[in-house]
Amino acid sequence: MILTLQTPRPLSRLPRFLPFSTNASITLNQSQPATCTSPPPPYSQILSTRHSLLSRQFSAADLLRSHLHRLNLTEPHLRSFLHLPDPSDLLAQADSLDRRIAAGEDVGPLAGVLVAVKDNICTADMPSTGGSRILEGYRPPFDATAVKRAKELGAIVVGKTNLDEFGMGSTTEGSAFQVTANPWDLSRVPGGSSGGSAAAVSARQCVVSLGSDTGGSVRQPASFCGVVGLKPTYGRVSRFGLMAYASSLDTIGCFGSSVADAGILLHAIAGHDRFDATSSNQDVPNFLSHFVSASSFESKPLKGLRVGLIRETIGDGVDAGVISAIHSAASHFEELGCSVNEVSLPSFSLGLPAYYILASSESSSNLSRYDGIRYGNQVYADELDSLYGSSRANGFGSEVKMRILMGTYALSAGYYDAYYKRAQQVRTIIRNSFTEALNQNDILISPAAPSPAYKIGEKKNDPLAMYAGDIMTVNVNLAGLPALVLPCGFVEGGTAGLPIGLQMIGAAFGEEELLRVGHIFEQTLENCRFVPPIIAEDIAS
Amino acid sequence: MGGVGAMVKGASYSYAVFCGSFLRSPRLSFSIHNKKKKLLKFRSFSSKSTCSSLQPPDVSRLAKTAQISLTPDEIEEFAPKIQQVIDWFGQLQDVDLQSVEPSIRAETENNLRDNVPETFDHRDAMIGAVPSYEDPYIKVPRVLSMD
Repeated sequence: MILTLQTPRPLSRLPRFLPFSTNASITLNQSQPATCTSPPPPYSQILSTRHSLLSRQFSAADLLRSHLHRLNLTEPHLRSFLHLPDPSDLLAQADSLDRRIAAGEDVGPLAGVLVAVKDNICTADMPSTGGSRILEGYRPPFDATAVKRAKELGAIVVGKTNLDEFGMGSTTEGSAFQVTANPWDLSRVPGGSSGGSAAAVSARQCVVSLGSDTGGSVRQPASFCGVVGLKPTYGRVSRFGLMAYASSLDTIGCFGSSVADAGILLHAIAGHDRFDATSSNQDVPNFLSHFVSASSFESKPLKGLRVGLIRETIGDGVDAGVISAIHSAASHFEELGCSVNEVSLPSFSLGLPAYYILASSESSSNLSRYDGIRYGNQVYADELDSLYGSSRANGFGSEVKMRILMGTYALSAGYYDAYYKRAQQVRTIIRNSFTEALNQNDILISPAAPSPAYKIGEKKNDPLAMYAGDIMTVNVNLAGLPALVLPCGFVEGGTAGLPIGLQMIGAAFGEEELLRVGHIFEQTLENCRFVPPIIAEDIAS
Repeated sequence: MGGVGAMVKGASYSYAVFCGSFLRSPRLSFSIHNKKKKLLKFRSFSSKSTCSSLQPPDVSRLAKTAQISLTPDEIEEFAPKIQQVIDWFGQLQDVDLQSVEPSIRAETENNLRDNVPETFDHRDAMIGAVPSYEDPYIKVPRVLSMD
């Protein structure tokens, strides 16, 4: 069923998408839907925005109104956002920026860029619920470092996005408040846990967004929603202000409609932060230098790059359409000059139970802070233990409760060796196998998920079935490595196909290489733009 | 990597497949834990033993430890699901992990900041979030002694 939005045409002065570079030819891949005539993607909405603002082609206020218009049209169908501020607040920020530009002042690289923020990332001026009733109405007294840095560079935070409660889930159905729909097919999930952030970028309700990735929560929704998702190396981005789920695995990640946009956002937020003792002192390279126009590429721009396709990710249990899309991606890499080989990661499948042991255990500890005493919603009782018990029982959803209980079990006296310690040992094995594979290869590739987006309700009552979908992503978190997901093809489903994401995994702190390679792959992909049907009419111009 | 038993179509089979490979590894030996409760089987994969001292999860007791007051309905609903997942965790028991060092996390540098106290700027906002506050106390109900 196609949803056609019958809307009054937006005023012609409102800007549409601004193509910055064009590829001369478009050919349709075999796995593409039959009808696709839109022009090739601009390589960076952020850079286009900057160009338009500085050349006075459009004002920040105009760009904001255009996005808000689209957001208001699509939001009743998508429900990406848990909180949207008063538009006049946003307009005031845009107006202020316009005045500074008019006065010739320097403005930051994210000036006028609309950023959506996942609701488990603290924002002082907007509620931050973590998708949970226990924090309904909670206003943090500070901004997360990632948010603070984005704002300092000129970003406008357009709202807080929906998520699975505290990051626990892979569909965003675990939110205590609402279910977000996938812009490609409103009967399907956007993925999780950062489903709202992925859907918002996919439907162009904003330009880029922040999410969090503990076991794949940026990469899998990126795949399901046909956008770029970037999980940095553990320690690359400060976790200060990210509500902790599993502290040894959590990262803040970036969504964009292009590799360049995700990379520019990462560059803005990355770097050491004294408020996060696990944040790294490693320099953040200038990723931006790689986001050049495709017309400047050599004929084999990735010549010599060794690409390892992880054998365990293209076998049993993976949709045929997904495998086909990944093989096409591998061929594309070869056309660009790479050598693509299959590589086997021993013990690959052990990562999934090891991850869930570690994540449940760490979450049972991290979520003990929600006691209704210092913040959050309290259910009063005459006696302290009852107050704790009732506040937590009332405030947490089922999945969160179950994971806390599983974690409590795994960490119980006498059980630590059997579960948590063993999982940490498996973690060592997995880290070593990645290190070995990344000695032989420059990057590793795999699907981001074994299937396209599920139908809403499909995985509801079967936890193990839901966990199984994380098989492609969790090992990367266990090893702490960076990974980039970008849309590489479609399978049948919905009205215009369902997108499939390719995952590229790099060495620790190797985001620069991932972004360089990802940008080249994306810009040379002879393909349709990944624009979901819900907004196709609005964007085509 | 093959599947365990028949590959069952549908949502859950991919999990069984991914776990299948090392469950069939010939060098592994295991004993069936003598459990009082009926074992829950997940498709063709039956629960493997852990050390015989590991009791199956007692959801009521765990809830008490975790300070979450579950209703009897919730206990009944959660118990089989939790059991299923804990059983699934059990497969790590069968892996040879001798002489493998546990990793706490990915490698990170030792970044400690100076031990210098600082004033937090947004004290009022922080206090404002406290549900029950009577300056300068955070109010809590009485704490009963354990019986």
